[in-house]
Amino acid sequence: MNADVFRKWLMYGYSALLLSFIILPLLIVVPMSLTSSNSLAFPTPGYSLRWYEELWIDQRWPNALWNSLVIALSTTLLSCVLGIPAAIGLAWGNFPGKKVIYAIIAAPLVVPVVIVGVAAFSFFATLGLVGSKLSIILTHTAMAVPVMLTTVVASLSTFDRTLVRAAASLGAGTMRTFFKVILPLIAPGVVTGAIVAFIISFDEVVVASFLSVGNERTLPRMIFSGVRESVSPAIAAVAVLLILFSAILLALIGWLQVRSQRMRMRVVA
Amino acid sequence: MVLALLVLPVVLFVVLIFLWPVARFLALSVDNSDMSGNLPRTIVALSQDVPESGLPSEAVFVALVEDLAAAKRAGREGVLAQLVNQRLVGTRFLIIKTAKDAADGKLDMRPVRESLIDRHSGWSNPALWQELSRQKGAFTDYYLLNSVDLMRGEDNAIASVPPDRAVFLDVLLRTIWISAVVTVLCALLALPLAQAIVSAPPTWSRLMFALVLFPLWTSLLVRTVIWIIVLQRNGPVNATLMGLGIVGEPLNLVYTRFSLYVAMVQVLLPMMVLSIVAVMRRVPATYMRAALSLGASWLTAWRRVQLPLILPGILSGGAIVFVFSLGYYITPTLVGGPTDQMVSSYIAFYTNNTLNWGLGAALSLQLLLILLMFAFLFLTANAILKRRTAA
Repeated sequence: MNADVFRKWLMYGYSALLLSFIILPLLIVVPMSLTSSNSLAFPTPGYSLRWYEELWIDQRWPNALWNSLVIALSTTLLSCVLGIPAAIGLAWGNFPGKKVIYAIIAAPLVVPVVIVGVAAFSFFATLGLVGSKLSIILTHTAMAVPVMLTTVVASLSTFDRTLVRAAASLGAGTMRTFFKVILPLIAPGVVTGAIVAFIISFDEVVVASFLSVGNERTLPRMIFSGVRESVSPAIAAVAVLLILFSAILLALIGWLQVRSQRMRMRVVA
Repeated sequence: MVLALLVLPVVLFVVLIFLWPVARFLALSVDNSDMSGNLPRTIVALSQDVPESGLPSEAVFVALVEDLAAAKRAGREGVLAQLVNQRLVGTRFLIIKTAKDAADGKLDMRPVRESLIDRHSGWSNPALWQELSRQKGAFTDYYLLNSVDLMRGEDNAIASVPPDRAVFLDVLLRTIWISAVVTVLCALLALPLAQAIVSAPPTWSRLMFALVLFPLWTSLLVRTVIWIIVLQRNGPVNATLMGLGIVGEPLNLVYTRFSLYVAMVQVLLPMMVLSIVAVMRRVPATYMRAALSLGASWLTAWRRVQLPLILPGILSGGAIVFVFSLGYYITPTLVGGPTDQMVSSYIAFYTNNTLNWGLGAALSLQLLLILLMFAFLFLTANAILKRRTAA
């Protein structure tokens, strides 16, 4: 049995090592970003918040954050408007060509993002829309809608369709049934899909660098062009803020899943 | 069918905003209309011409001057110069200057052939005329051939490009090689971790799973940038190595193939762990125990019982990692050196920096085809595997 114990500890030791390889880089930038010096170095020579302050003083960073938020929120909204009805249609409908439809909608997930970026650039250039937020929002929506659609389809799979008939027999119209019966019940799936759509757009850099110029630059675009010149402590500070932001979103999704599980248990009980 | 109508908007949206632009861009890989459309008379004249002494006859020169004058007046001479220059480097200013002179009427003196060559000696270059005589219609295979280091040589036969210009096959092989290495590394690293996640007590298992998942929620860009910070000359890795006395002076870790592998593996490892864990969870732990109780050593039991059962998970994880890697752009651009760039970087380079859209489109088409081919291979392998386990 000694070999078994040894193997077990070997496995856990290895896992700890590999997990630190995955996680540690994300943590080690936190102290590094708090440096008081002009360049990034380890160990950090002295601590201060000057680079975080710098981010607020330099107009370009808050401006880029604002652009990113506007684009990501619009993308999320548009993905919901396009994705939720389509998910209902695909989950409940019985029509030919469903496979083709899925293939068409999933295409943006497969095509390498550089090709998407270049193609979007040449397309929106002919419309005179390069440099506008609209061009980025539309392309990001095409990239986010497949994910939105799959999460909503998944949450519809446990949905009891007799509820829709019940609502109709009680005199509710289509819209009212949707907002009062369907939407509340699939809300966890919708919110998860919406958060993922938001993240896809908020983090996206390649399409944004092809389509955004000057004042319209998004946050990832600013980081991307900044890094190509030099990795300053300001960029480390932005990275830390973004990691914090994703941690919050991840916690939110975890909380939502626990909540929806509890809700389902209550329905069963 | 009301429900089908609900799906219509999103399908139209994806077709209009995504498929149409991509298709239009890919079509540029065979498009020759900017060339043939700007030299209509020259092309006709060249096709009827019987060349003597390597240069075309007077009629062709007259047609050329007319074409260039028309192009200049339409403001298209820059595009044309760019296209000709792509095929024969160093001809850009020749085209632009000749077009200006043609539009100004400075080339009307007969014979046009002699006066043109007198003014712009570049037109006495037979290679240029050979190139122009290849421009026949609205389509060209020039970019597609170029993207696999081929060209039309003498007598229009397909031949290899000179070795100093042969870069794209190397880039393609490098892209496939880097993706394969990353995939194998991910699979080897992920297997023990997945096993640990599945066999650990629930609390630990959940914690480990969360730690694996977390990076998936931080952006690819941020994770790549962090590796630059961690691996730079005065970063934590070099500080640790020097502190332990392993190296005397900081190593150049970043902007190398090594840093590219490290960053790509860290970024893609969670996907591999996820797909292996998903399959492993469905394999009952009793199978391994049965094999062990029947006298197999642990390694034999794992290799003969566990591995075949989780192979579909490794395969689908491998497919995801490999296909994702093929299209990688951000990570090679930021943490790779000049010789670590993959196809995507070249697509961006040719469309952004040199405005050679035809070549960018041809490389994109090549990348897409390779990607589809490998996706198909993985799907077939998976299907065979399924049939064998079912039998």
